[in-house]
Amino acid sequence: MSHLRLDNLSLAQGARTVLEGLSGSFPDGAITALIGANGAGKSTLIQGIMDILPPLAGRIDCDVPKERRAWLPQQLALDLSFPMSVEELVMTGSWPTRGALKGYRPSQYRQARDVMQRLGITQLSHRPLGELSGGQRQRALLGRTLMQEAELLLLDEPFANVDSDTVNILIQVLRDMADQGSTIVVVLHDLEHLARLADCVLLLAGGHGQWTTPQEVLERHGVTGLTSQAPFVPLNLSDSSPCST
Amino acid sequence: MLDLIAPLADYGFMRRALIAGLALSLAAPPLGVFLMLRGMSLIGDAMAHAILPGVALGFLMAGFSLPAMSLGGILSGLVVAGLAGGVSQMTGHREDSAMASFYLISLAAGVMLVSLGGSSVDLTHVLFGSILAVDTTALLLIAAVSTATLLLLAVMFRALVMECLDPLFLRGQGVRPGLIQGVFLGLVVINLTAGFQTLGTLMAVGLMMLPATAARFWSKRLEGLMGLAIVIAMLSSTGGLLLSYHLDLPSGPSIILLAGIAYLLSALFGRYNSLLVRLRRRAAPLDTSRNGAASA
Repeated sequence: MSHLRLDNLSLAQGARTVLEGLSGSFPDGAITALIGANGAGKSTLIQGIMDILPPLAGRIDCDVPKERRAWLPQQLALDLSFPMSVEELVMTGSWPTRGALKGYRPSQYRQARDVMQRLGITQLSHRPLGELSGGQRQRALLGRTLMQEAELLLLDEPFANVDSDTVNILIQVLRDMADQGSTIVVVLHDLEHLARLADCVLLLAGGHGQWTTPQEVLERHGVTGLTSQAPFVPLNLSDSSPCST
Repeated sequence: MLDLIAPLADYGFMRRALIAGLALSLAAPPLGVFLMLRGMSLIGDAMAHAILPGVALGFLMAGFSLPAMSLGGILSGLVVAGLAGGVSQMTGHREDSAMASFYLISLAAGVMLVSLGGSSVDLTHVLFGSILAVDTTALLLIAAVSTATLLLLAVMFRALVMECLDPLFLRGQGVRPGLIQGVFLGLVVINLTAGFQTLGTLMAVGLMMLPATAARFWSKRLEGLMGLAIVIAMLSSTGGLLLSYHLDLPSGPSIILLAGIAYLLSALFGRYNSLLVRLRRRAAPLDTSRNGAASA
């Protein structure tokens, strides 16, 4: 049975119902892309999975403990003026095992160095967060997630305002994580990333969801076959009709 | 030089005042650093006013009883913090507007209470304190508050850092940021209450905020900020006391003004983002072009 399941789920933002009657399972060890027009409920669903937004009806069954869930939100809550270096940020990913009180172990510092090397940010390890570019910041945040050894990873538009080198590194790291068994849910907005990254798609439109495959989405947009050379076209799903689940 | 510091050795009241000042300087500035980093620098000021009605009530009920006044101050500070947070959550308005409203009500209520039950001398004492009149009870209270603050800060340090840096991350980990913020504001209140006897309700926040804002110009590291803020506060406390003794000035304002001078000097000549650094930075592109021309 999948680690993350939706059962007739409805979610609301304030007085507005955003998603209704959403059911289905996110495949384990795979990358599921959440796609849909602005306001379709992608970020709302992620907040629901993170237990930040309680369901209006139905339920979310998640077998992954909270400390093994990692979330990279779209609206960055990170205070970039806070006096902290990249290495220190990556080390905060040890929270699930060390909590607020236990000191860091030497092995965790080694792990952080390995993570930074993998993400190509070793040379930035002592740089303050406020001096990072968007791509460097995203790599550092993913570094924190790798330190968490997350079993469930939720990423809300991780490639927005990020350079292509960073996109390539992030895609490789996410692919490796999925291959090692992590369940990854990622909000995407363009076909190239969908083609290169996703194993499965949850299309959100009109408050409802439809489970589909990357191939189907690409074909609907006139792209035949999955290719790493898929055109860099933003997805426009505003004309999608509501799907029954 | 020895003559300058001799009063600290010669007089008991000066030694008690010095120890009180140093104890406050150990605990309050780290709180000020966190307030500053959370963009809540003015909240300390609001809380300082919020403790006034409690202090005044304690004074009316038990006279110049430090335990009664301190307890009243702590309670009224916590009530105002809770009310401001509650009203903000209920109405959806920003917390600073609720806090500003409640602290202004508190200030007016406090001044009214002292005026009704005491004299203008009493009011001056409550508002501006008297560090030279610190007795053993006050000293014990200040030492206990400082010790408790440092211990609690050590325990909740990582959580506090995470709550400042990325509250969403903490929420994702199942930690309630509101709990951390509540304990933190509680620490601010008890430190302001400990400081009111010596510096007065209106100036207690000075020893919390000015060293922290001055340190921001010298360090980009959290440990550096806190260490420097403590050093600046200690120097201001010691220097202010001696200044007050030798020049016959009021001690509280002397201490806070010295911390203020440290801030102004830091803003002018500090290592990061000071006026001097900004002036030098403007000259940097000229150097680059000169180097480029030379290499060409």
